[in-house]
Amino acid sequence: MNNFGRVLAAVPSCVAQQQQARGMATLKAISIRLKSVKNIQKITQSMKMVSAAKYARAERDLKQARPYGEGAAAFYERAEVTSTEEKPSKLLIAVTSDRGLCGAVHTGVARQIRNELATDDGSTKVVCIGDKSRAILQRLYGKHLLLVANEVGRKPPSFLDAARIATEIAKLDFTSGKIIFNKFKSVVSYQVSDLPLFSLDSVSKAPKITTYDSLDDDVIKSYMEFSLASMLYYAMKEGACSEQSSRMTAMDNASKNAGEMIEKLTLTFNRTRQAVITRELIEIISGASAL
Amino acid sequence: MSGWRAAGLTYIRYSNIAAKLVREALKPELRAAATKRDDSSVRMTPWKDGKPNKGATIPGAE
Repeated sequence: MNNFGRVLAAVPSCVAQQQQARGMATLKAISIRLKSVKNIQKITQSMKMVSAAKYARAERDLKQARPYGEGAAAFYERAEVTSTEEKPSKLLIAVTSDRGLCGAVHTGVARQIRNELATDDGSTKVVCIGDKSRAILQRLYGKHLLLVANEVGRKPPSFLDAARIATEIAKLDFTSGKIIFNKFKSVVSYQVSDLPLFSLDSVSKAPKITTYDSLDDDVIKSYMEFSLASMLYYAMKEGACSEQSSRMTAMDNASKNAGEMIEKLTLTFNRTRQAVITRELIEIISGASAL
Repeated sequence: MSGWRAAGLTYIRYSNIAAKLVREALKPELRAAATKRDDSSVRMTPWKDGKPNKGATIPGAE
């Protein structure tokens, strides 16, 4: 119904434009349009430059942060930890940021979470890091949200950021979970990945926990707290790096598209201008011959 | 059980305090760079039944 109305409204304006197609007014309109597209291109170009610089830094940071995540993930893999709870309550942590204009990085993470929530009986809860994932999930799955962290993405994530979020997450009640984030692969590609989370119980009952020497409950508890923070740190770094690289590509494409539009508009502008000149000449000449 | 655990700290909190002390003990020329790593602007809001609980927001920066 709504769409129908819009189509109807669009028809008369379309006709009006065609009637006006050759005249001074459109010449002006085209030049205004041309100017605004040129300005947009300037903006996207400078945004690309900014994110290129930020990306270089994020990639350097990511190299240093990788061992944190890989170490923590390796522990769970070696000890063959599996979730053993009878009444599972899952926690999904979406790692995104507050900033947009960066392609599909945020929607990819949100889509993964939506897929998991679609097959869920209501015991799965969500923690959103970054306003973008919150905005996407809020409408349909608002009741699943437990915690939202924002002011993410303005500055590169620090370990203290991750530690503070981890402290809050540790207070929540869950038996297993996943950190869902964008894993950076190369400048042009990233992939939605996840890191597992487990409860203290399932870690101490893991079949191969004896691989590790001199573990008591206290040590495991401390390590669990630390590994949550370090995995979050790693995930946030990967996310930030993917986001910057993706923004770089997105802005590059936007500048290219603006360039194409400028070319087309310049062409129509010149054509219209000549048409106007020709028409004026015809008017003058035919006016003179009528004398 | 360690003393900090008995005092109700988590390991993260404990190690953050330790890290802060180490940063403060650095020589002045190195300290400037290290203190830059010691900030956090993330703000957290608990949600319940699809609504944010604004009163319980945890502001950023330490």
